[in-house]
Amino acid sequence: MAEVQQSGGDSGKKGHQKKMQIRVDFTPMVDMNMLLITFFMLCTTMIKSQTLTIALPSNEKVQSEENMSQASADDAITIIIDAKKKPGPTAGTLVIDSVNGNVVNEIYYYDGKPGGEGGMFGPGGTVLSQNNNLKKSDLLSDEVNSVGDHKARGIRQIIQERNKAVLEKVTELKKKLNDGGFGSLETKDDREAAMAKYNEEAAKVRKDENLKKPVIIIKSTPEASYRGLVDILDEMQINSISKYQIDNITDVDLVMLDDYRKHNK
Amino acid sequence: MGRVKIARKSTFIDMTAMSDVTVLLLTFFMLTSTFLSKEPATVVTPASVSTEKVQETNVLQVLVSPKGQVWLTMNNDTSAQWSNANMRKALLENVADLYNAQHKNKVQFTNAQKETFSKLGAFGVPLAQMGEFLDLADQPEGLTKMDQWLAGEDPNPKHVTGIPISKENNDENLNEFQMWIKAARMAGNDNLTQAMKDGMGVAIKADQNTSFDVIHMVMDNLQTIKQNKFTLLTALKAGGE
Repeated sequence: MAEVQQSGGDSGKKGHQKKMQIRVDFTPMVDMNMLLITFFMLCTTMIKSQTLTIALPSNEKVQSEENMSQASADDAITIIIDAKKKPGPTAGTLVIDSVNGNVVNEIYYYDGKPGGEGGMFGPGGTVLSQNNNLKKSDLLSDEVNSVGDHKARGIRQIIQERNKAVLEKVTELKKKLNDGGFGSLETKDDREAAMAKYNEEAAKVRKDENLKKPVIIIKSTPEASYRGLVDILDEMQINSISKYQIDNITDVDLVMLDDYRKHNK
Repeated sequence: MGRVKIARKSTFIDMTAMSDVTVLLLTFFMLTSTFLSKEPATVVTPASVSTEKVQETNVLQVLVSPKGQVWLTMNNDTSAQWSNANMRKALLENVADLYNAQHKNKVQFTNAQKETFSKLGAFGVPLAQMGEFLDLADQPEGLTKMDQWLAGEDPNPKHVTGIPISKENNDENLNEFQMWIKAARMAGNDNLTQAMKDGMGVAIKADQNTSFDVIHMVMDNLQTIKQNKFTLLTALKAGGE
């Protein structure tokens, strides 16, 4: 492995130090290091998980009607997440995406109270009319055209329309941030300080009582996947929605879903 | 015709530089690596645009399998007073108290069992079997057996994995999952209690294809014991907004 070469042979002069050339073969050392690197690389998690904070109302039963904060019917939108089911003989089994193996979720929504204006239900839950205000939507990302303008689609477009007043203000703030209105963006510290100011202002806008903003009620059928819920919670964040809640699905919602599917195949 | 003589060159390559580089890389990976702790179920968290980072200390992580089994992992303070070991012992004592107050079959843990518990990663077996589970550590290959039990691969069908949790729950009659969360809240570490109050102290980690039914059960259980704020663990969505 390690070799010690003598140069100059045996020149037998006394008092003259022998010149030694020492060469150590590092190949095994490199081999071992590579193995260790491989081990550490495989054991490492470089990406830290992100978190999404949610706050739910207390489970305690609210006794009096007065204590309940009622959303006015004009402002309320209910979003229902459901898993897509297979039609035909294997009805009831969930559709699985063939590419990534995920459960496919469908998004429905309705404005205000369920059922629309006409009466819907007869005795025993029979559906009387098709006057169903449930609409289907999709979870879609923004469409970006050649100029680079974003155009919202699907459920995002619907939420953005309702939350126009707030979003306009937030866009203004964002522009101010990029123009340096909250301080310079040169160094990392400056940027963080500017972002903190921006976030503070944006939070104020989101909670501004004078602006017209929707109250979104998120419901999910038991079969729908957790991913759908996180996706919708994401939309709340993207579209600066301050008032939203996760609620239990009711029988009325389920009947409406069934009714919708029956008439829109 | 004279033969062309090819000079014989030594094939000896100087590996010193290469070795330097590998050592540097090795140092980098050693310093940056945080080891994946072994978990009873492998889950793929859903993607989200949220960029908030997960808290590393003072957090109680609830791992939910798609089947609805629940395990807990507790990451504690860096301070000596509430180190992992101390905190774990306090947690086990508290949860035993809560359990004994509600059940006829009392559970009691020896010091050796508490010591074993303080070194565990993820945990989650019914409290009635916890003693038996912790005793495994003294057996030969006990740790492997414990992992098997947690992963649900134990040959003994009586050995159940996952903390018992139920859909019907109320504040008077807690299920074991709620007991664990409550025990953690009152274990004495103020930092953890505060983190749990703020919602950063409880993190739910579930697979993206878990049905809402299961997630709702876990959330509902937390709501019942007034743990109304919590976080969901997600992966960063590529592309973002």
